[in-house]
Amino acid sequence: MSRGRAMAALPPPRSTWDAINPLRMLGELSETRYWMYLLLLPSALLITAIVLFPTVYGFQLSFTEMRLNRPAGNGAFVGLKHYQRMLADPIFWLSLRNTAVWVTFSIVIEFVVGLVAALALNRNLPGGKILAVLILVPYFLPNVVAGNMWALMLDSRVGVVNDILVNIGLLDSYKAWFADPNTAMATAIFVEAWHSFPFFTLLIMAGLKGIPADLYKAADIDGAGAFAQLRLITLPMLRTIIAAAVILRVIGLVNSPDLLLILTQGGPGRSTQVLSLYAFQNAYSDFNFGYAGALSVVMFVLLMLFAWAYIRLSKVNQD
Amino acid sequence: MTAKFDRRSVLKLGGGMLAASALLPHQAFAQQTAINYWHTFTSQSEAAGLQAVLDLFKAAHPDVAVTPENIPNPEFMAKITAAVVGGSRPNVTMVASERFEDLLAMGALSDMTDRIAGWERRADFDDKRFASITKDGKTYGVPGFTFVDWGYYRKDWFDEAGLAAPTTYDEFRDAAIKLTDASKGRFGFGLRGGPGGQNFVVNVIEAFGSPVKKEDGSIGLDRDIVIKALDWYAGLLVKDKAVPPSAANDGFQQVISGFQTGQTAMIWHHTGSYQDIASKLKPGVEFGTFAMPAGPATRVARLAYAYNCITNDENADAAWEWIKFWGEPDAAVAFLEKTGYMPASTVAAQDERIVGNPMYKAAADTLGFGIPQPSFPGAAGWAQNTVLPALQQILIGQATPDQAADQIIEGLAAAIA
Amino acid sequence: MAQTRTGSNLIWNIVSYAVLIVLALLSIGPLLWMLLTSFKVDDDIVTRTMVYFPTRFTLENYIKLWNQSGYPVLVINSLVTTTLTVAICLFTGTIASYAFSRFNFPGRTPLMLGYLVVRMFPAVLMIIPLFIVMRNLGLFDTSLGLAVAYTSFLLPLFVWMLKGFFDAAPKELESAARIDGSTRIGAMFRIVIPIARNGLVATCVFVAIAAWNEYLFALMLTSSTGSRTWPVGLQLMVGEFQLPWGMLAAGGIISILPVIVLFALVQRVMVAGITAGAVKG
Repeated sequence: MSRGRAMAALPPPRSTWDAINPLRMLGELSETRYWMYLLLLPSALLITAIVLFPTVYGFQLSFTEMRLNRPAGNGAFVGLKHYQRMLADPIFWLSLRNTAVWVTFSIVIEFVVGLVAALALNRNLPGGKILAVLILVPYFLPNVVAGNMWALMLDSRVGVVNDILVNIGLLDSYKAWFADPNTAMATAIFVEAWHSFPFFTLLIMAGLKGIPADLYKAADIDGAGAFAQLRLITLPMLRTIIAAAVILRVIGLVNSPDLLLILTQGGPGRSTQVLSLYAFQNAYSDFNFGYAGALSVVMFVLLMLFAWAYIRLSKVNQD
Repeated sequence: MTAKFDRRSVLKLGGGMLAASALLPHQAFAQQTAINYWHTFTSQSEAAGLQAVLDLFKAAHPDVAVTPENIPNPEFMAKITAAVVGGSRPNVTMVASERFEDLLAMGALSDMTDRIAGWERRADFDDKRFASITKDGKTYGVPGFTFVDWGYYRKDWFDEAGLAAPTTYDEFRDAAIKLTDASKGRFGFGLRGGPGGQNFVVNVIEAFGSPVKKEDGSIGLDRDIVIKALDWYAGLLVKDKAVPPSAANDGFQQVISGFQTGQTAMIWHHTGSYQDIASKLKPGVEFGTFAMPAGPATRVARLAYAYNCITNDENADAAWEWIKFWGEPDAAVAFLEKTGYMPASTVAAQDERIVGNPMYKAAADTLGFGIPQPSFPGAAGWAQNTVLPALQQILIGQATPDQAADQIIEGLAAAIA
Repeated sequence: MAQTRTGSNLIWNIVSYAVLIVLALLSIGPLLWMLLTSFKVDDDIVTRTMVYFPTRFTLENYIKLWNQSGYPVLVINSLVTTTLTVAICLFTGTIASYAFSRFNFPGRTPLMLGYLVVRMFPAVLMIIPLFIVMRNLGLFDTSLGLAVAYTSFLLPLFVWMLKGFFDAAPKELESAARIDGSTRIGAMFRIVIPIARNGLVATCVFVAIAAWNEYLFALMLTSSTGSRTWPVGLQLMVGEFQLPWGMLAAGGIISILPVIVLFALVQRVMVAGITAGAVKG
């Protein structure tokens, strides 16, 4: 068919191949005004196909009575019942507070350490490549391994960290880091930061390599100091990368109970109880999927608000 | 072994060749029924025990092919829940006593009453063994093996101090206090206040005379008794200082390693950890075992079972063959030899390898007076998410026994509402 | 003036070294401890007095691990799943990210947020519906199914990060190519993607690591006889009533080896890109 048309269209002469050449057709397609939507189509379809139903299902659960170990009455619409219960649930408020502490401290430490490491590595010092690999390696560990190894190292009986601290005189005797409410959260944050700061290092490092050197040369001539350069050139140039990294990391910290599940399970006495852990417990040991769904929706909304505010404030999408 | 090799390999070879030529699956020719078996065996010894039972079963039942599927214990309920809700259940599932009520309410289990009634080995089992898997006259599984609650004590330290293994809570507390020696870094009791410690709190409360639930299903917890029980139990740390200060985060691994390394004089656990303790300390010389001491009101020592249950109506006959097989003395003893886990069958439990070992005497005694855990839908979640944090809060000084008792009672009311 | 410049440079170099060495020690210390632990017998791990170096060097932990866990099969499954995940992300995510970076179109910000939304709903609650979706699609217990599930969660990460790198690539080169008659798609593949290739590699590394280490979905969406992956096998070693510290350490060491090898290779590519001066624009 296309062959016949190609033959008929005399001036300008087009070869048969040209007419059906997918590359040419794509090229022409790329000049249409719908091109960007076409580019988004495959990923959007994939995400929708897999995630749409589970997400809608989760929202629906939060308005439904769904206690798997109490089949009678399951599936009934209960309106805002779960949300009302949440308002009066002291464990929810405690978890919310703990989540805020957990996320804020983790993200600040991870970002600052990650940035400092990336800036230092970017100076391309001799031996820097080896140091880079050493610094980035914690991020490669699965949570299972990182969590359990730190649990062993911090153990109050056989933990090497205690032994070192006692030997150098910082501690009088072995300390049970996760049994003391004053140190449990801080220690968990330390382990989390140790595991994840390379996320920022790697991203910022890759971003730094994209900043034209001329900018710094010009700043040098203008007499701008190191901190001024950081504030005026580096951070603005990395704006979107940092914003993306912070948002993604915050989502990860809020939603994933992995590490705390291994280290403390929310203890001692709920002092490290966070929302993700609370939702997990509600779903898989109390089997109250309705309430767990409502908790998830609250986490979702909080994250949504955070991301929206952060995108507005950091001006990610300004050209 | 050789005979089995011959017959089976010939069958297999013939079947394989035919299957290859006709492009038919091998099972079709051998008329094998495939079933899968979900379990939570993880450690090396457990894996070896399961393999031993599988091998014996394979020889006895060439017509049934069992595919074991191991699932980590912490995520077991999540995985089985997804399978039940998603409609792809396994044929046979290993169900711990404490999970029975939740799974039954979820509709995961099939009624096995008639099959069990007609089973030729039913008489090998005490009726009590089925108590934690029976509801409203219907039985839903067969016990595969038993965990018997007991304690371990440092025999050498006890001998040195002229003490005998405790039989009551008072003796227990006295021994714990006497054997505590801060200068040596020794504590009398390794209290499990971290993950998994919840069940012992419930035991102590019941031993003080306050059952969790009454016969009619209403809340049996008496506030005053709960307070007394918590005061005594947590008091071992906060008043008597006879417990390591790390107790609030001490789970299984910490408690066991504390005992193994000579930090603690006594711990409570069940028979499942015997091999592990015996690998570090000399049985009968350095350590001994004791039945759970009697509380002021009653003696509470739990018998927990791992039941095998039919969870899918398809291939139920083959599933039943596999479940029954765990009741064979040969299988139970082969399993015991690899794992140290007690058989559930009375006949198997009388095997010389168990009766002849004095270390198992405490467990054998406990089989007589031991009782099942309180069981109702939501029990496991309540114990884990309410009772344990309440205990921890006393241990770390964030709550008084009164406040903790209120949390526990209110939590129970919410759980069974 | 030149002197102060060199002077401050020297100071900053010293500071950088100090920072890097402290961080490297902090990062690598626990891993070295893990390595030592993996060569220890149990008696040297659970002891009353700390044993720093194994009194008896043993490879037993590695041997037991190899025999028990079915390591080769699990690692192949993990490799297949990870490769598929990266491939799908690369194909669908790169173009999406380019669209977000280069075009200002109605609905851009909401759409970008929409991609993030996917990650915001806690995974623990998505497991059961996801399980049902996978079964209906016939993808349950397949590497492809697991990869698709990972992709749906990692795509946002991929797109958002890559957008940052595309944004940083100068637009002038692209405009120049367009003036020379290149189509948009031509400019994308010939100019923009090569410039942003460091970012592309870094982003792929993240996706690969995340897919390699993921545990919960792998457990829920696969079975032991199908496409179960390595982290699940690792978790299964942590018995309820045993203390396999040595084996766990050995498992940790084995699990990061492939990742370190991959990273060493990638580092080389990244460095080559810089020295070629392609990035400087």
